This record gives sequence, C-alpha cells and structure tokens, in this order.
Amino acid sequence: MRYVNSIILLALSLIALNVQAVTVIVHPSNANALNKKTFKKIFLGKSKKFPDGSQVIPIDLTGGDAREQFLNNVVGKSESQLKAYWSKLIFTGKGQAPKSVDTEAEVIKFVSQTPDAIGYISDGAVDDTVKVAAKF
Amino acid sequence: MKKLQFFTIGLSLLYIPQSFADITLNGFASIRASQANSDGGTTPFGEFEEGEISFKSESLFAVQATADLTEGLSAIIQLYAAGENDFDVEARWAYISYQLADNHTINVGKLANPTFHQSEYEKVGFAHNFSRLPKAVYTGFPFATMEGIALNSQFELADGDYTLDTKVLYGSWDGNITLNGVGNVPLGLNDIMSVNATLSGDWWKVFSGAFTTEMKAESLDANSYFPAIQPGVEAALSLGATQSDITNFTNAVAWDKKDGLYWFAGFGVDYEDWLIDFEYTNYGVQDSVDAPNENWYLALGRRFDSYIITVHAEESKQPDDYGFLNGINHPVLQATGKGLQGVLAANEFDGYGISLRYDFHPSAALKVDYFTGENQITNIGDYQIMSVGVDLVF
Repeated sequence: MRYVNSIILLALSLIALNVQAVTVIVHPSNANALNKKTFKKIFLGKSKKFPDGSQVIPIDLTGGDAREQFLNNVVGKSESQLKAYWSKLIFTGKGQAPKSVDTEAEVIKFVSQTPDAIGYISDGAVDDTVKVAAKF
Repeated sequence: MKKLQFFTIGLSLLYIPQSFADITLNGFASIRASQANSDGGTTPFGEFEEGEISFKSESLFAVQATADLTEGLSAIIQLYAAGENDFDVEARWAYISYQLADNHTINVGKLANPTFHQSEYEKVGFAHNFSRLPKAVYTGFPFATMEGIALNSQFELADGDYTLDTKVLYGSWDGNITLNGVGNVPLGLNDIMSVNATLSGDWWKVFSGAFTTEMKAESLDANSYFPAIQPGVEAALSLGATQSDITNFTNAVAWDKKDGLYWFAGFGVDYEDWLIDFEYTNYGVQDSVDAPNENWYLALGRRFDSYIITVHAEESKQPDDYGFLNGINHPVLQATGKGLQGVLAANEFDGYGISLRYDFHPSAALKVDYFTGENQITNIGDYQIMSVGVDLVF
C-alpha cells in the first residue's frame, strides 16, 4: 500500500511539474479581480473592458512557454485554430488580434507603463513593476 | 481605370505617416493546383478549365490595411487579386468603421455582403477546413460585396456563457450576373436589407439570416427573358390569346422590381475534436419565372493534432414552382413559362468530398481534397475535382 501511495504521489508531482500555470499581470494600480472566463474573453476580443468598466489593452506573446500555457490552459485552442478564429474577425472587419511582442520582458515593460494593460508571462519572470492578477 | 484608382488609394493608405494613423496590415492567400473533369466535357464550375491542371483557377492573394484613426474611427481597404480574374487587383472592400460603443460598430462604404453564414470570409481559405467552401451553398455570387452601411453588434448572454453576434445592413449593388441558359447579363439589387445572427457557446453555434432586395432587371427582362418567350407569345396569339393574357404573362415572367429573398440557417459543432457543420440556403426572385433555389451541405470532421479530415455532402436544387403562372390560363403561355423555368433551373447538382487539412505552420495549412458529383446538365454529367494547395494568413 505504501508503494502505491508513493507511486501516486510521484505521478502527481510529475503532473504538477508539467502543468505550469500562466501568470496574468496588470499595472500595479489595477485593482480588478479576474477569473479565467473574463481573461479568456479579453484575449479573444469579446470583452473590451475590465470588470470595473475601465478600458482594457491586452498584450500578447508571439511564442514561448508562457504562450503555450496560455493556449493550453486558457484558450483551449492550438496556435492555428486561434489564427483561424482571428482570421474570421479580421477579414470581416469585426476585430483585430491583440498586439504581440516577442519576449516576456517586453510584456512586463508594456504592462508596467500602461495602466489599462493586461498580459501574461511565466511565473518566474514576474518582477515588482507589475501586479499578479491571477494564475490559470 | 477604376481598379487603378482603388489601388492608388490603397497605396496611399499604406503610406500615411505614423503620426496620422496606426496602420495594421493583414493578408491572406491561397495557392492551389486544381483539376476538374466531367463526363460531358464541360467544366462543372466556371473557374476551372475542364481536364486541365491549373494553378490559377483557385489561387488568390489579398492584403488588408486598417488605418486606426483613434477614438473608434478606422479606415479599411482590402486589395484582392484572384487567378480566375487574371490576378487583376481590385479593391474588394473600402470602408470606414466607427465604434459606437464597446459592442456596436458601424461600417460605411464598399462592404462584404453577408449573404450566407460564411460569405464574408468565404475567400479566406485558412479560416475553414475545406479546399473550397461547398459550391452548392457558396457559389461565388458577384454581389459578394456591395455599397452600403452595416451595424455589427455583439451581446453577452447568460453571464457571458453565450455570445450573440448580429449584423444589420442596408445597401445596393450593380453589376453583371451569369444565369444558366441566359449568359452574363446586367443586374442591380436595390434596397438590400439584411439581418443575420449567430448564437454561440464554447463548442457550438447556431445561425440564421436573410436579405431582401428589389431587383433592377429591366435590361435582363428586355434582352433575355422577353426574347426567349417571344415564340411562345406569338404562338399563343395565333391560338386565341388576348393582349391582356400576354401582358399578364410577361409581367409574371419578369424580374424587374420584384423582390429577391435570400435566407439561410444552420449550425456548427467543435467538440472534443469532432466537427460538424450544416447550412441550408434558399433564394429566388419572388413571383417570377425564377423557382426558389434550395441548397445545403453537411460536413463531419475529425481533428488529429495538426491534421483535420473532413467528409461532406452537398446538393443544389431548384425544384419546379409554377406559382408565378397562377392566373395564366392559356396552355401555350403556361407551357412557355414552364419551359423557360426549366432552362433557368437546369443547373442542379450534388456531390461528396473528402478533404485533409494539415497545419504545418501556425499561419499556413496544406490542403488536399477530392470531390465527386453529378450535374443534371448533360454536358457536365458526372464530374470530379481534385486539388492540392496551401492557404495562409499573415
């Protein structure tokens, strides 16, 4: 029985190591509480405001681990599926995908300088110029 | 000349100094090798050359520039070049967009006509999983774009669990259309009034829409339909038909100032990597020689990581509808009306297809397909289409 428990614990640890959360960051002055549904809607262009009614400016990543976690944990679509989704909106004049940057440092810099911004990065990249709003 | 002017406007937009507007460039392209064969020796659809492998029939390129003029105002132009038109560049879209509120945007100018559910993005191959959207529904109407004003709205329902997208549009179109048995003829659509709606959840959507228009078809009636019925009219006169009978008959056949009605309904599912899509469309010119067109497609797909395999069936029919002959009693006129409707409605077809999509790059998909069907026109008969191509967006 002890062996079985050990194996289960080991398996859970491995799963925990592999399923990393995506860390949502906002400007330090932003007091909004965010759930996953709201965060997803902001990045799919379905919500243009924070829960408190203020404007929201999402900043996306072009690639990397945090981007993969974002696609897996939040959006539930592959990169191609998301691109097809945005194609339908862009080429019908109904929306534009959020602006993207290449590095997490650029996301942090943008969010720290823009009170209405929201972005996502990996947990280890967070610094004190931004506020962690949620982890998904 | 008009094309050149639009192209110049497009280039001007691209070179607006940064201080005036933030310009976003997007684009899409399809490069496809296609081959169509038919037992009757005639191409099943106009863009193909029967029996030839062509890199031109289904290839296209488009660049879209969106100039953000701030405070909700933007200008959009889409320059489009299709192989079937020798890659002549045209401004497919050119309109101004203003965001009235977070969930309401108004567009004015040359716009996409949302005739059916996917009409607005039917040229964007990357947005769907077919090599071409089913031809029974997406025939490529010349009035795919029009001039007018549209209101796009989005509503969150049930605490954001569902989304309702709506579009209300008013506009008009003038151009040429190809009709079976008649050829390429001038036509206008006045007072286009269009409404459509899509209700969607996380993995499903249902949609429906309709547009009505007043047909501007004086030239089509005078130069095509009336000459076509003239022999029947003369025979009826010689067999006792009165002038009043003839006037009633020509009025019954005619399209001019009659109402065109187009509507569609369907659903889509994307659940646990299973995909189902269905769309039914119905359209025609009311109280005229035109019988209602009834079309549908049903597709079943399965996603395997970066691959999607789709099988689908489609059908385009135009069953007889002699309601326009109510009140026409002379047998020769009755027969003439039925004969003309038969000629116009001869292009009925069905088919089955299998398509493979492989997303080999985040912005590009390789697609291979095989489609086989039967057209009631004997010069076409059984036909097949095969294609290999790449759809991309940028």
